[in-house]
Amino acid sequence: MNTATDPARSGSDATVRTEVFWGVDCGSAEIKVAAIDREGRLLTTRRCRTLFPLVEHVHRSLAGHGDELSAILDSDRAELPPDGRQPSLRPGHKVFATGYGRHHLGFVQGQLTEIKSHYLGVQHQLRLQQDYTIIDIGGQDAKVIRATPGRVEKFAINRKCAAGTGSFIEELAHRLEVPMHELPRLAAGHDKDLTLNSYCTVFSGQEVIKLLMQGERVENLIHAMYRSVVKRVLEMTAIDTDTLVFSGGVMNHHPILMPLFAERFGTVRTILAPNAQFCGALGAAIHGLNEESDDGLPNHQ
Amino acid sequence: MNPSTVDVGTAAVAAADAKQVMRDYFADLGAAAKDPARKVAWCTSVGPAEILRAMGFEVYFPENHGALLGATRVSAETIPVANAQGYSPEICSYLTSDIGACLKGVTPLSKAYGLDGVPRPDVLVYCTNQCKDVMHWFAWYARRWNVPLLGIHPPNHLPEVLPEHIADVASQFRRLIAQLEAITGTPLDPEALRLAVARSREATDLWESVLDTARTRPAPLSFFDGTILMGPIVVLRGTQIATDYYRTLLAELEAKVAAGHAAVPGERLRIYWEGMPVWGRLRQLSDLFAGNRATVVASTYCNSWIFSDFDPAQPLESMARAYLKIFINRDDAYKENYIERLAGEFGIDGVVYHAARTCPNNSNSAYNLPQRLAAKGIPGIVIDGDLCDLRCFSDGQSTTLIEAFLETL
Ligand code: SF4
Repeated sequence: MNTATDPARSGSDATVRTEVFWGVDCGSAEIKVAAIDREGRLLTTRRCRTLFPLVEHVHRSLAGHGDELSAILDSDRAELPPDGRQPSLRPGHKVFATGYGRHHLGFVQGQLTEIKSHYLGVQHQLRLQQDYTIIDIGGQDAKVIRATPGRVEKFAINRKCAAGTGSFIEELAHRLEVPMHELPRLAAGHDKDLTLNSYCTVFSGQEVIKLLMQGERVENLIHAMYRSVVKRVLEMTAIDTDTLVFSGGVMNHHPILMPLFAERFGTVRTILAPNAQFCGALGAAIHGLNEESDDGLPNHQ
Repeated sequence: MNPSTVDVGTAAVAAADAKQVMRDYFADLGAAAKDPARKVAWCTSVGPAEILRAMGFEVYFPENHGALLGATRVSAETIPVANAQGYSPEICSYLTSDIGACLKGVTPLSKAYGLDGVPRPDVLVYCTNQCKDVMHWFAWYARRWNVPLLGIHPPNHLPEVLPEHIADVASQFRRLIAQLEAITGTPLDPEALRLAVARSREATDLWESVLDTARTRPAPLSFFDGTILMGPIVVLRGTQIATDYYRTLLAELEAKVAAGHAAVPGERLRIYWEGMPVWGRLRQLSDLFAGNRATVVASTYCNSWIFSDFDPAQPLESMARAYLKIFINRDDAYKENYIERLAGEFGIDGVVYHAARTCPNNSNSAYNLPQRLAAKGIPGIVIDGDLCDLRCFSDGQSTTLIEAFLETL
């Protein structure tokens, strides 16, 4: 849906066969891009912080992949065309957008929600044959997607607050004065299960400070923080599948979360999606590939 | 008249007429407030307006003002003023918008209808069939302006409306009438009451028929149109003006149906909206659904002013029954059956539940109702938001939730 095709854009010149499909995942924290060929093979990925003007930073992310691959000629990379026009794509390239900023890129050939794109990115890579649940934890949101091999059945997104997302972990790391990359190692040294109660990131920070004052070990607090993330995500919706697939940058950097999720369910199969941070961008590219077909049918899957 | 010969562009005219009807209504209210010979009563939106009309009061509805404050986004300036006076950000944002506006001395009625301010009341009449916030709200004005405060307190959240409930409310109405007679100095004319109830019944039946035109595929009007077109049924119940207005509107919509006119061209999905409108985001939400070729064809909100029980032969008893039976005053099983029935009748593909932060009374997603209806094959999505307080609403998140939901249907 919402796949508006504008043939005036150079990337959708009807006379040129599309060779490269780009997906851009405009998250509120990071822009991620991924490119695939007509066979659905991943060609490249890139990510950068979400900065503004958005279109300029997306433009940069689509360039600099080498002259063979870049959607925007490297020679054009440095700046946007003057007068704020949207960038022109090289013939044979199409771009599809997902994520929070998806409506704000005028030059793309289509857009889809991050729910559908994450599902497509995961299913394309894993080709699961059973029902499963995707848990995606990003910088500022968390998603739970109940999926079958053919479609998204239902989904939930975190409500209102950063609790259960990467921002929460970042804030507590800051409170504890521990570098982010040290968190998983320290958590492994915990010797006690502590609980943080609050929904609220600020109140959780206060809970942590109070526990520190009471002499609790930092390791136990970090472990409690991870358990809090798990709790926040699990209260979003009831999970009823045996297979959990994890995606998103937070999971990539904090793999300790996976067994914490698994232990809430007894025996479950947990899978970290390949290219976990790029599932949304990849899914957007797959969506583009599915949309395009010589015979009018999806040419993928 | 052969409907096919009617210009199908006329519903736009009806929308314009709604504006004219509202302009006349406010102009008259403004005049009444300045005229010592006329009396103004404030009434809650599903309160006993017919009694007030029959007793010669001009009737003003503060909830309508709340909606206007929300739609014009003046609320953003006025809610914090009420919050700072101890009216919590967690309570009805109509209340906080309106009290804040009074404290600040602003009203969108000035710009929209040329009024100096809200019309000062001679009496405040609330009914807690919808919530208790209205009682606290009107009490503030009673203290501020030293105006009599009269309340109807019906039994709430009923599985069934029983004769004893009706007897209770009818007797409260009788006491209210006596209290109002003391204010006007004139006894209620039973014929005038019968007439007001008859007019309300006629208008509400027409309003129901208007909403029912959306059963057609494609629907000729959407919930978002409904939120504008409903003005007269809220504020002019009991008058001939409302009846005349809805008769014209219905004819226009029937012509549109005959001509196959679609509110959303290329209608692909049909949605039920559960809960309050997000007044400050009507246009954006309307565009969002239309952009996805989805029409919101039915809603709890617009249906809340259908009162099929009004009966001029038994004015007080039938008013008691009608005002007790409203959706908001019923138990969860009733609500579940109601939405299920409408989903069938309107060919609904999915339900969008608006969980309004400051109105739990009009939010029905917190007690597992979406899950129960989903188990019956009526999928739904819950969006967090509010009627007036946009601090509780995220454009990005709601857009993603709604679009992703429509993708799954
Ligand atoms: S029902 Fe809700 S919106 Fe209406 S007055 Fe009561 S609290 Fe406010």
